[in-house]
Amino acid sequence: MITRREWIAMMCAAPGAAPLLRGAAAPASPVSIARCASYDEDVTARLAAMFDQLGGLERLARGKTVAIKVNMTGSPGMRVRGKAPALTHYTHPKVLGATAYLMGRAGARRIRFVESAYASAGPLEESMLDAGWNVRQLAAAAPLVEFENTNALGKHKRYARFPVPGSAYMYPAYDLNQALEETDVFVSVAKLKNHATCGVTLSLKNCFGNLPASIYGDDAGRDEPNEKPASGRSLVGHQGTRQPSKSAPPELHFGASHDPGYRVPRIVADLAGARPIHLSVIDGVESVAGGEGPWIGDLRLVQPRVLIAGLNPVSTDAVAAAVMGYNPRAMRGTAPFRACDNTLLLAEAHGAGSADLTRIDVRGLTIAQALYRFES
Amino acid sequence: MLAALGWVSGWCAPAPQAWVPMRWPWQDARSLDLLAGTPINCLLLEAYSPELVAAAEKRGLVTLERIAPGGDTVAAARAALARGVSGIVLEGSFAEGTAAAVRAGAGSRPVVEITARNRLALGSAAPVLGTWQAVWPGIPAQDHGSSRMTGPSGSAWIDTNTGFIRAVRAWGNAAVWLANTPPAGEVVTTERYLQAIADAAISGGRWVVALDRGFATRLAAGDESARVSWRRMGALLDYFERHPEWRAMREAGKLALVQDPAKGGLLSGGILDMIAVKHTPVTPVPPQRLTPESLAGTTVAVDVDAGALTAPEEAVLRDFARSGGTVLTSPTGFKDERPPGDSITLSKAELDRFNDIWRDVNSLVGRQNLGVRLFNVSTMLSNVLASADGKTEIVHLVNYSDYPVENVTVQFLGGYRRATLLSPNGAEKTLRVYAADEGSGVDIDRVAVCATLRLEL
Repeated sequence: MITRREWIAMMCAAPGAAPLLRGAAAPASPVSIARCASYDEDVTARLAAMFDQLGGLERLARGKTVAIKVNMTGSPGMRVRGKAPALTHYTHPKVLGATAYLMGRAGARRIRFVESAYASAGPLEESMLDAGWNVRQLAAAAPLVEFENTNALGKHKRYARFPVPGSAYMYPAYDLNQALEETDVFVSVAKLKNHATCGVTLSLKNCFGNLPASIYGDDAGRDEPNEKPASGRSLVGHQGTRQPSKSAPPELHFGASHDPGYRVPRIVADLAGARPIHLSVIDGVESVAGGEGPWIGDLRLVQPRVLIAGLNPVSTDAVAAAVMGYNPRAMRGTAPFRACDNTLLLAEAHGAGSADLTRIDVRGLTIAQALYRFES
Repeated sequence: MLAALGWVSGWCAPAPQAWVPMRWPWQDARSLDLLAGTPINCLLLEAYSPELVAAAEKRGLVTLERIAPGGDTVAAARAALARGVSGIVLEGSFAEGTAAAVRAGAGSRPVVEITARNRLALGSAAPVLGTWQAVWPGIPAQDHGSSRMTGPSGSAWIDTNTGFIRAVRAWGNAAVWLANTPPAGEVVTTERYLQAIADAAISGGRWVVALDRGFATRLAAGDESARVSWRRMGALLDYFERHPEWRAMREAGKLALVQDPAKGGLLSGGILDMIAVKHTPVTPVPPQRLTPESLAGTTVAVDVDAGALTAPEEAVLRDFARSGGTVLTSPTGFKDERPPGDSITLSKAELDRFNDIWRDVNSLVGRQNLGVRLFNVSTMLSNVLASADGKTEIVHLVNYSDYPVENVTVQFLGGYRRATLLSPNGAEKTLRVYAADEGSGVDIDRVAVCATLRLEL
């Protein structure tokens, strides 16, 4: 944990002053931070201003198919102290709806909400309804809005293969729902929160949910995908005690590590290369600290009251981690990466983006102004 | 069981099916003032004053002295009746023949039995079937999101008596009383009391209101927060009593469960509750009443114990299948048995056996809309009822969490065009009906403890 003064120093540090704070050649990109006191505020106006600070959405979205990756981790039936999931560990539908609306206004041809609904191959809309979301409002956010549950084949006939560019950490390629291939612009809308395995759940870790449980789930078929998945991805993803379905490329070094803190950050970093993120939006209006969902003990409700957005996921997550009071370049053993490797640095090493705060142009609020310590 | 009616001359006693019972914890006549604003009209008494009984009679209330096993029960009943109470409640496990002897001595005075579940006179003409065996409704503490949870799976389990009540009511027209008391050693919040009332009422039963000692003391002392809680309880009781038509309705939906109420139907947490927690509308059909008419409107029938059916009963299911219905039978070798001893919940081994059936049902039903589908209801239970003319459907909702649930979606079949949300506070709100993938849908903004959706053609 570092102090506010250290943050300011870090923000002002010249490149080279602290090697750990510097990303080598990975691209950096501006990140916007805005205050948003509650979901009753005009979230659309806040995001519109933020996207303008990033150069506007038109050049990104006009005439394009946009996939918006939602964060709906765990069963929608599980609640933190009875609160709606969007107020704790799910991204809030107002943030999603506003993003979709602004994409549509910027000329996007098609908006598709994507998420691997927990332990289900059913329609994504049903999981959203089970979370208490107004699906009809989301569907009306833009001229053409679709929903795809990427936990299995969904509405498609085959899986799409996404090779990891360069030298993959865990798998040479990932087989994902085809909706993730039929995408010109991929947006990760994440929650500002901790993660028991990865330290933080931000726009990069959100995309672990791109993995279909039909192939990477505990009950995935041995040879072919199980199109009725009913479990999570612990055995393949977290523990490495089984391979994915043989239809997909196997793990490169199977059996080499069963440490979730080693494995999951690397899979996430792989995915950042394989299925690049073009826009990251992080919902930090209301959230939880101490873990990613209600199954984690001792969760705390928090209200950072911020929205964060950026065109590079590593840079955006680095700023978000800093807003949470963490050093985004912290090494294993240091908060928040106490028992895991740093996903941001692994993604940075893949060339997905820079986690070097000294290279990131923060617009809107400063990190110091937005700072909300997730740990005292 | 009730011996006879019409024992009181000079005033018109409510019929036993209309009795709204409560274990009355106070002895003085003035305590009856607390009944203002509640529909409670039947008091179960243990210690009481003659003034209390006289005052109750003046108010048109039914008073039943509770007698527990031990000593000379017949003499105790005779003495109680001599003290002027309306009738007797025998609560507990009495020796065979005791109740008959008490009834013989009571003449025209009512004698109600509150028994273990496995001693209920199912299928009899008794107007009241009471049991002291019931689970305290709610979400077990470990399912509330505590550190004992280990993974991001599933919804909370809800302890409920709804399956038991529905099974019993499917085999007779008796009023079903659940006479369990608040759990000792726990803080019982107002919401928990409301849940106990609603849990019984949505399935047509009645919880015999019983206050924990602390609450009763505070209420008698005029504590304002206790009075507020009491008014809420009274309002909820009144909500269900103002709608006697709901008790006359039967379960709706396309799924029928053929199960003997005297066997697995006696359980809480059995197959009926497993289905209920998934909000799949299901009609319990006792084999004793298995006829083509009892399966009318259903498309799937689950036969819990195929080996126990008689030839005519088997023929009904065979004809049902021939006419296009789907019959799901229990796994080979499965027998639905009467719960051992006084148990009313499943042991681990029994749970595993029932899970086999449940998995089959779940696999068969999948995500089909079998009448009504509900969303964002993981802390709730529901019951879907239909009027005999098919023009009205009722969807009762009970929320077992300590927090209101917001944004519930209900999708329904049946061409209903008008939807009204009824709340215990008397409010009625017209909901907008919109087209859904299957049938129609409505959105409910908020459910505190209980609400009812009324659908009309």
